[in-house]
Amino acid sequence: MEIPEKYLRAFKNKYGEDANIEELKKIYEKALITPGEDVGVIAAQSIGEASTQLTLRTKHTAGLTIINTTTGLPRLIEIFDAKKDISTPFMDVYLKPEFAKSKQKATELADSIIEVKIGDLVSSYDISMKRKAIELLFDKDALKTYGITLRTVLSKLEKMKLPVHMEDNKIVITDKTADNVKKLIKLRSKLTETNLSGIPHISRAILNRDKEGNFWIKTVGTNLEAILKLDDVDQTRTISNDIIEVSKVLGIEAARNLIVSEVYNTLQSVGLKVDLRHIFVISDAMCMDGTVKGIGRYGLSGETESVFARAAFEIPLKHIVEAGLYHETDKFDYVANNIMSNQVIPVGTGSIKLIVKKDGTEDKGKTKGKDKE
Amino acid sequence: MTFVFVNGKLSGRTDDGVGLAKALIKDRREGKLPPTLNVRYREETDSVMINTDSGRLVRAVIVVKNGKALVTKEDINLLEGNHIGWDDLVKAGKIEYLDADEEEDAYVALNEEDLTPQHTHMEITPLSVFGTQASLLPFINHSNAHRNVTAVKSVQQGVGTYATNYLIRMDNDSMIAIDQQVPIVKTKMYDNDYLRDHVFGQNIVVAVVSYLGYNMDDAIIINKSSIERGLFRSMFFRPYKVEETKYIGGQSDVITIPDKDVAGYRSEDAYRFLDEDGISYPSAEVDSGDVLIGRISPPRFVSSIDKFRLGVQKQIESSVECRTGEGGIVDSVFLTSTSDGNKYVSLKVRQDRRVEVGDKFGSRSGQKGVVGMLLDESDMPFTYSGIIPDLIFSPYSLPARMSMAYLLELLGGKVGAMAGRYVDGTPFTGESEESLRKELHAHGFRENGVETMYNGITGEQMQTRIFIGDMTYIRLKHFVSNKIQWRARGPIQLLTRQPTEGKSKSGGLRLGEMEKDCFVAYGAALSLKERFDSDKISIPVCSKCGMIAVYNVKKKTGYCQLDGEDAPIKLIEVSASFKILLDELKSVGIYPKIAVGKKV
Repeated sequence: MEIPEKYLRAFKNKYGEDANIEELKKIYEKALITPGEDVGVIAAQSIGEASTQLTLRTKHTAGLTIINTTTGLPRLIEIFDAKKDISTPFMDVYLKPEFAKSKQKATELADSIIEVKIGDLVSSYDISMKRKAIELLFDKDALKTYGITLRTVLSKLEKMKLPVHMEDNKIVITDKTADNVKKLIKLRSKLTETNLSGIPHISRAILNRDKEGNFWIKTVGTNLEAILKLDDVDQTRTISNDIIEVSKVLGIEAARNLIVSEVYNTLQSVGLKVDLRHIFVISDAMCMDGTVKGIGRYGLSGETESVFARAAFEIPLKHIVEAGLYHETDKFDYVANNIMSNQVIPVGTGSIKLIVKKDGTEDKGKTKGKDKE
Repeated sequence: MTFVFVNGKLSGRTDDGVGLAKALIKDRREGKLPPTLNVRYREETDSVMINTDSGRLVRAVIVVKNGKALVTKEDINLLEGNHIGWDDLVKAGKIEYLDADEEEDAYVALNEEDLTPQHTHMEITPLSVFGTQASLLPFINHSNAHRNVTAVKSVQQGVGTYATNYLIRMDNDSMIAIDQQVPIVKTKMYDNDYLRDHVFGQNIVVAVVSYLGYNMDDAIIINKSSIERGLFRSMFFRPYKVEETKYIGGQSDVITIPDKDVAGYRSEDAYRFLDEDGISYPSAEVDSGDVLIGRISPPRFVSSIDKFRLGVQKQIESSVECRTGEGGIVDSVFLTSTSDGNKYVSLKVRQDRRVEVGDKFGSRSGQKGVVGMLLDESDMPFTYSGIIPDLIFSPYSLPARMSMAYLLELLGGKVGAMAGRYVDGTPFTGESEESLRKELHAHGFRENGVETMYNGITGEQMQTRIFIGDMTYIRLKHFVSNKIQWRARGPIQLLTRQPTEGKSKSGGLRLGEMEKDCFVAYGAALSLKERFDSDKISIPVCSKCGMIAVYNVKKKTGYCQLDGEDAPIKLIEVSASFKILLDELKSVGIYPKIAVGKKV
């Protein structure tokens, strides 16, 4: 048995260079999981049992500077379902070590990343069907606080190739093609969502300070791709809690690590101790084929190879009819379908097959099993 | 303009709503209107609501005028002397009934001391804040409110004498306690005539101590010798009903002893209790499986294989047998006829139910538990004066639940037993803890009720003094013997060949989905297969086409319906439910081809 280098080194560091390697081998072999152990079910039971206790304990925190984050069972479900729109997306934005202690730099960054939309500045809209135009009246105080002039707004709108001109302190957008109000209303909602400054999707940024005096920013809303492009941001530590986004921006390994840390932290925040290795098993399964997949009908369970195992999980009719249409084969190498047909499951003691002929030679025949087409 | 509604129906208008309401109430008090008529002027909708219909909850209160109750000392003296009655007070307008609507405007005092000129009514007794059931519980003003709710639920389940004519009734779940006693600690409610005659529970000696570990977690230990002397013994009646149904074509069921040539004839032994009329005689000691009422039915005509057979069709045996585990004595037999003119027989089997491990008991303070052990008298702990408790209650049941009524009843019961009197435990107005303690001290006990006790097995003195006293315990209707169920082999369902479900069908105990997962997680693959072998069958499969073939096990030959005689047939072992799945797939036009691998 090959012992990984790091364990060998750690062993020698502790017991000296001439320590007995056989002892280490014994310990190492003992620590390995037994062949045939159903780690999946054990992982599911280990997390499932713990999460029954946290159902009733969902804490709510209210306040101005504290960001409300989904915790407890709702968050766990969100992670394991690999939801695309999570209910409370946020990022932890870290500054590069050289600026980390500068409050001014951090404040500047925090201010610059908050998204300002036209909708945040406009005090009133006027839709005129006669002129086929929308008149935007801006709030002067809001313009001042965000440091935006009407000219920048104008140039931004001109870039969008809209027919824009200024009248007094109003901005007027005309659309000659609009033949009904609906079109103008559509245009108006497009205008309110137009980004003027900052990073899209980031609605708030809150400055934090850790024990060493380093500043970091917590944002409400995520846009990892845009944030990582900023010069002042430490790309190595900045992270979002949106697993799907992380898998797109940083890759599948980052997403897998994020699943592990999110699940672990969610469970730990309510005082449950689940072994990390159980979470590893599940997160590995979720990221197995390069994209993050949820556990459920549209994820892992719905894509099981076995027809009967899929049918046993949900909507059996659909799976069986499709199996008939596409000539699918069930090799009976899963747990669910073997239990269904009362066969020995290929797990634990059932995973070992020792075939010896009467004369003592090994039988090269295939193991028992039925295929279904 | 004020609208007037009578029983919710708009009936008229008036200019003076307040005056109308007042005048009606005055008339009612003078006896000109029925006492259950209620009036209220509703300010928010400016309307007068008059209610006279049935189904409203009304409660009686004493009328108060100028801060003085109209029912005076004289009235009470007259009442006690039986010179006047309740109705006289109602007629005189001294007591009136309020419904939910009129109660809104009433200002009801709890005691005479609380009365102010603003009060309109006074409670007859503070006890009336409780319902009939709750007012039977002693000292419940000392307990946690939730415990009182639990206590009421417990008392409802008590076994007593639910009806005095139980001998001629044919109720299901009929249980009768053989001996019942008036509780030592009573409430005023027990002076009621009905409750005096229909008491429940028995006064027993209770020690609050942990003993042998058999009274953990709400379990109790009961003195086996007390049980043998008849403590908490009760009867259980199970009725059986049989009708001689008439069928179309002039045929009918016959209640009789079935002949031997009847289809489904049991055995001569099973019919041994039947008289000539086909009904077992009263006082027969029947056991499970014995026929109680013999009956034969005419052969079935529809959907039976019998009609393809030759020869005379047989009568079918359809007797009623004694349920499993409910053997006893045939108590009574009733013969009558239904409205259709069919003969109708009902029969009652009586069972003696002694206390056994697992039976449920409760006190009147929400402390209920099951028997964990029946301990012989010689092994029970005893006090220095030789008192041996009938029941041992765990002290760990008390602190978290805070049912102080339990402790007070135990103390009060001890006082009552020593003084030979009933103790008044009425909530709010009953005897106080201090007076009970004083009286107990006067009887030569420690005033807190504890006594030195000795271990019944070793004879050693217990290191702590034990709280021991007398209180009322009630046997609750949950008898283990009605619930116990087990099975090794038994009936199966026709379609799936899986074991039946439920106690009445002597069904199997299901190894569920989550339990299955535990087998999988443990890796016990072969044990799991064995657990699911209940519906295993062996089916022949044609290796060529993968369909189920025909196979003769004796001759060891078979053929495939597609590939003929020469097709290689293999036997595989699958669950019957899986075979049904394959059959159903075939029926919807999906071809499940089975490829059989080599046998291991």
